[in-house]
Amino acid sequence: MGHTIAEKILARAAGRDSVRAGESLPVRPDYMIAYDFPGYTDVMFRQMHDDFGIRELDEPGRYVVFIDHMLTKGNDKEQQVHQVTRDWCEFYGIELHEARGIGHQVMAELGYALPGNFLIHFDGHISGAGAFGALGWGVRRDLLEAWVSGQIFLDVPATTRFELTGEFAPGVDSRDLVHQIIADHGADGCAHQVMEYAGPGARAMSIDRRQGLCGMAMFTGAVSAVFEPDEAALAYARRVARTGFTPQQPDADADYVAVHSYDLSQVRPRVVLPGSARAANTRDAAELAGTPVTKAFIGSCASGRIEDIRAAALVLDGRQVAPGVELNVVPTSEAVHRQAEEEGLFDVLRAAGAKIARSSCDFCFGYQKPLQDGENCISTGVLNISGRMGSTQANIYLGSAFTVAASAVAGAISSAEEVSRS
Amino acid sequence: MSAARDYPPPPDVIRGRVAWVFGDDFDIDLVIGVENIKSYDADFLRSKVMRAYDPGFADRVQPGDVIVGGRNFGYGHPHYPPMVALRDLGIAAVIAESFSPGFWRGETYNGVPLITVPGIATAVTTGDAIALDWRAATVDLGDGRVLHGTPPSARVVRVIEAGGSLKLLLAEHART
Repeated sequence: MGHTIAEKILARAAGRDSVRAGESLPVRPDYMIAYDFPGYTDVMFRQMHDDFGIRELDEPGRYVVFIDHMLTKGNDKEQQVHQVTRDWCEFYGIELHEARGIGHQVMAELGYALPGNFLIHFDGHISGAGAFGALGWGVRRDLLEAWVSGQIFLDVPATTRFELTGEFAPGVDSRDLVHQIIADHGADGCAHQVMEYAGPGARAMSIDRRQGLCGMAMFTGAVSAVFEPDEAALAYARRVARTGFTPQQPDADADYVAVHSYDLSQVRPRVVLPGSARAANTRDAAELAGTPVTKAFIGSCASGRIEDIRAAALVLDGRQVAPGVELNVVPTSEAVHRQAEEEGLFDVLRAAGAKIARSSCDFCFGYQKPLQDGENCISTGVLNISGRMGSTQANIYLGSAFTVAASAVAGAISSAEEVSRS
Repeated sequence: MSAARDYPPPPDVIRGRVAWVFGDDFDIDLVIGVENIKSYDADFLRSKVMRAYDPGFADRVQPGDVIVGGRNFGYGHPHYPPMVALRDLGIAAVIAESFSPGFWRGETYNGVPLITVPGIATAVTTGDAIALDWRAATVDLGDGRVLHGTPPSARVVRVIEAGGSLKLLLAEHART
């Protein structure tokens, strides 16, 4: 019996010829990544120094820190958090990337998320690295284990394979697919597993769409997701690589828990009801048509890339955001921001009445412009639990960039199909 | 994350009562209410814990009691304070049909035995006395029935025996 991509990546990282799902063993990540957040990175640095007595890192090049949260208020508190992070990174010789965008995107642009690499973070959305054939695993506080020991004990995950055919219809993208998968298989449909994406539909999908799809893996219960690295992924990797890399492909007789097939041309626009992304909350966008919104948000580590901004521009070209609605568009990185300006996409969005904000995580977790009591927001953010974007008395609906842009125009939940007909 | 209280490792066999049975896909944040998830103040959390489910919960829980969950327990973006609040009342373990990976990893780090035992959610009701052998993942229901679950890995056993991952790591890797 052959091996999955995840088994091959973890075997290489563990220094073993092979590993099998279910084995428990220490694994050495290629990169151990974090963003600065009060109570997490600042505490971990202090623990390393004061409690563990670590004054020097054996391999500082494996540590990566991003400053991508709390960039927008400029108050003393956030300045202090950032300064502590800068000081610790300088002390330990850790590469720090500040205000270049959301780390889960910037790690790809800077050549950390390379095919075959194993990456960990305390945040689970690092799974977006799977777009490039890398395995990204959110290990929560166990990041400290890796930071102090260079390795982390893991249970090798089993894998469910997704065979994709076809291409998305106009107005549909990978956010609709992931919510369809959750609706079909449940919020624990891939629990403790890796989702492996393959097939002609996967190869036809843009890198941006793959990143968004992999970044949402945790909402199926998966620990990660990974695409078979194809020529598109390898071309991206060669362009940004800072080291050599070893792409891994699954064996034809790899052992899968299940194999599911999806024809992308059959995926419909999906909207998730406020509360969580669980199966019972997923609806066809048309079922919720007419639900009024006052805020609309395109951004986050899942959906603020150039393809999402192109989608918004396609919908908003020649149209206006409805009176009483505020549409905020936050490119996932500074590089995406520059590209969107160069392509003239932001001119289209501004003409339609959208507001363009600097790249950061701050809208997605309610730090910038928090929602007020009673507001309805349609969002491409990663999470719609109560209080995520501000008031616990506000409602957050999730949809694709197409659906958010269309809803902003209509002033109510709407799919891009509806807007294009109007 | 540093403000969580220090808890000793559990006994080999945890004897207590089932303090509550939750359903599938339960979001642990709801234990204290989403508006309170940023607090680590034990007294404040005690005043909020389980109020939406059972106002008498905090007064009747005794050390060694456990909570029981359905499938995918800890679903969502689980924060740490709800389990701080529950442990502060004496909750010694969580037994569930299955756990959400993020919750499982985060609370295992904190030294909580999170034991997967298929059938548990329908086999017990609030108030039942049970005995959990957390290493073996067996639950003795006291009426002749014993449920068998998935034993934790050798590494996880060491984490729980140490009273949490931080303590184990300090024993293994501190250079001072």
